[in-house]
Amino acid sequence: MDSGHSRVPSPSQLPASFSKYHHPYFTSAEVQHLSEKQRGKLSATQEEKARQQACGFIEAVGSKIGFPRKTLATAQNLYHRFHLFFPRKDFNYHDVTLAALYVSTKMHDTLKKPREILMVSYAVRFPELAAKSKSVGGEVDMDPPTAENDRQRLLAVERLILETICFNFTSKMPFSYVIKIGRKLKASKKLIKCAWRLTIDRRVTFFIVVHLIFISERNYSHRTLVPIMYPPNTVALGCLYTASLLTTLEPPPSPLVEAQLDSRVATILKEKGDWERTYMAEAEDLEEIAHVLIDLLIQAAQNPSANTSPRTPASPSPHPSPRNQHLSPVGTPQPPPIPYKADQLIRLKIMMRQNEHPLRPQQPLGSADPSELYNGNDIAMLGRNQGTVRFLFGPPGIVGQGV
Amino acid sequence: MHDPFEVRMQFLGLIRKLNASQQSIQKVVAFALKYFSRCGEDLWECIIEECQKGSINHRINILYFLDSLCETSLLAKAHQLPEQSSSSSKQVNNALYVDYVSRDLTQIVECVVPVGRQGLPNLPSTKQILENWRTKRIIEPQKVDEVLSLLSSRDSAPDTTSTSVAPSAAKSEPHLSRGEIFKRIEEDRERHKRLRERRWVQAQPHSGSAVPSYSMFTLASFLPLSDTENAELALDIEFENEWEATSDWNEDDVEATAEERELCHPHLKRKGFTNDEDEGEQEMDIDLS
Repeated sequence: MDSGHSRVPSPSQLPASFSKYHHPYFTSAEVQHLSEKQRGKLSATQEEKARQQACGFIEAVGSKIGFPRKTLATAQNLYHRFHLFFPRKDFNYHDVTLAALYVSTKMHDTLKKPREILMVSYAVRFPELAAKSKSVGGEVDMDPPTAENDRQRLLAVERLILETICFNFTSKMPFSYVIKIGRKLKASKKLIKCAWRLTIDRRVTFFIVVHLIFISERNYSHRTLVPIMYPPNTVALGCLYTASLLTTLEPPPSPLVEAQLDSRVATILKEKGDWERTYMAEAEDLEEIAHVLIDLLIQAAQNPSANTSPRTPASPSPHPSPRNQHLSPVGTPQPPPIPYKADQLIRLKIMMRQNEHPLRPQQPLGSADPSELYNGNDIAMLGRNQGTVRFLFGPPGIVGQGV
Repeated sequence: MHDPFEVRMQFLGLIRKLNASQQSIQKVVAFALKYFSRCGEDLWECIIEECQKGSINHRINILYFLDSLCETSLLAKAHQLPEQSSSSSKQVNNALYVDYVSRDLTQIVECVVPVGRQGLPNLPSTKQILENWRTKRIIEPQKVDEVLSLLSSRDSAPDTTSTSVAPSAAKSEPHLSRGEIFKRIEEDRERHKRLRERRWVQAQPHSGSAVPSYSMFTLASFLPLSDTENAELALDIEFENEWEATSDWNEDDVEATAEERELCHPHLKRKGFTNDEDEGEQEMDIDLS
């Protein structure tokens, strides 16, 4: 964290006050630029692995506490955002993920004290200690100085995260739109449920996609997408569209009416039409989102072992209960059987490519360097009285119009 | 203390002194759990008895105690499950006192909210607790719905309190002093606040899986997808709750969507949706002035 010191301008060079605008969405060009800048010596693969690990950690800690999906989704979002502006090498991922979780709990009013979040994180990180615990809930007896130290670091990172969102505590999630728009489109409940789950997985697509940018710019740069690139209604529609495509891979549900309704959803959302005006989204965006999601499913279907940890729980159950279907005889949790075959998904992609909308030109980077929005200098400036900073809740031009 | 009679007597003493504070509740919960395997059924009988005999204030205190008891029972079960080796399958399937609560839910609620005016102070809290149990699947939704509809059918019935008082509350309630009323108001406020703070916590399925290894990242889309709720999946339970609670697409959503779209594409017009041909060529200008 000391890297910023040498770059701090002297007081005479700083303006008396300056504004920071909340930039809630990024174009693919901006994402590319920022990621490249922060990656440093890490390879894209290593970076992807780091992201997966962090998102998995958020998932594990969050679901153990019992946070709803929106809290987990926002936490992962905040984590991604943070590392567009701050390099991974300067931060321990536990600090960042837990701070992201903490900020998210405030945004969604699902409050939990930092100390409580920390305690659960210890149970996740050290299951052998948790198993030995004497308390009812399996709380780890972490030594107080360590816990306090960790708590202080969490709060320090929290401050940085808050600055990256300009203290704007609103966060619109796509989950409710999936249900609302799905119902209006008359999709079956099962399809909507499938789309809802895709919305969760969509959080995963960040790193898959950025990874793809660097593999093959020609093929993928125009399809890059990230959860912080599309507004929630578009994301919801994208997931509904993808779910409707996926239903074609399975045998039709027993009520034929449902099957017809679901395929109608695919037909509507595939083409441009009045629905774009109603839901304020574009068919091209839905197509892009669908491609990325299907790529994600293909990758996961082809590499099931990549989704499991080399580190298995320390104490496998010697007497697995028949109710714990996911536990194999040796006690290592196995992932459930994959419902889609990779070759089915690939064929789907090919079919989609055959009737695609024409490419839209990629939005180029603006004149200013987006990484200047929030940079490492802030770390050195924390706590110093160097003039006033105005944090504004939206991009310039929008601020002041009800934002 | 090995004698079940002694245990029972001590428990009765504790539960009679039960008040609204967390400290008091946790004390009784700890005792109840400690002696569950030996005389859980006995202790449960004590609870029911106290619920039938106690004052109105005491009964709502007992209901809050039961809420804590259920929560702690499930926590204890989740923590213990991987290590339970010699227990019979019956033991594995029950969640300590939760099954008793479920079995006797109607009876409990009828005691806590007796018919007539004297039950009314306990009605809002009882409904809150029941809804909490339903959302978290601590009790089967069907069972909770039965009890909730029982309560609401009473709401709509004409208030003939003087003639339809239940036998258990036949004795007239001693007139509460002003101080006692304020105390009860304050207690309710604290308890509602505490319930609200926990309201968002998602259901933890009863099978209580071992702590997941945090690098294991199964896609939600790969989990088994069925038409009905899979009670083993916290994800499914959350979806079902969302499904029930989410309203249809309405004007507020249109407004919110338009606002968000503007944040994403500041150069698009706010009113209506124009297929702006220039979209791709405009730069995202980041002003740092």
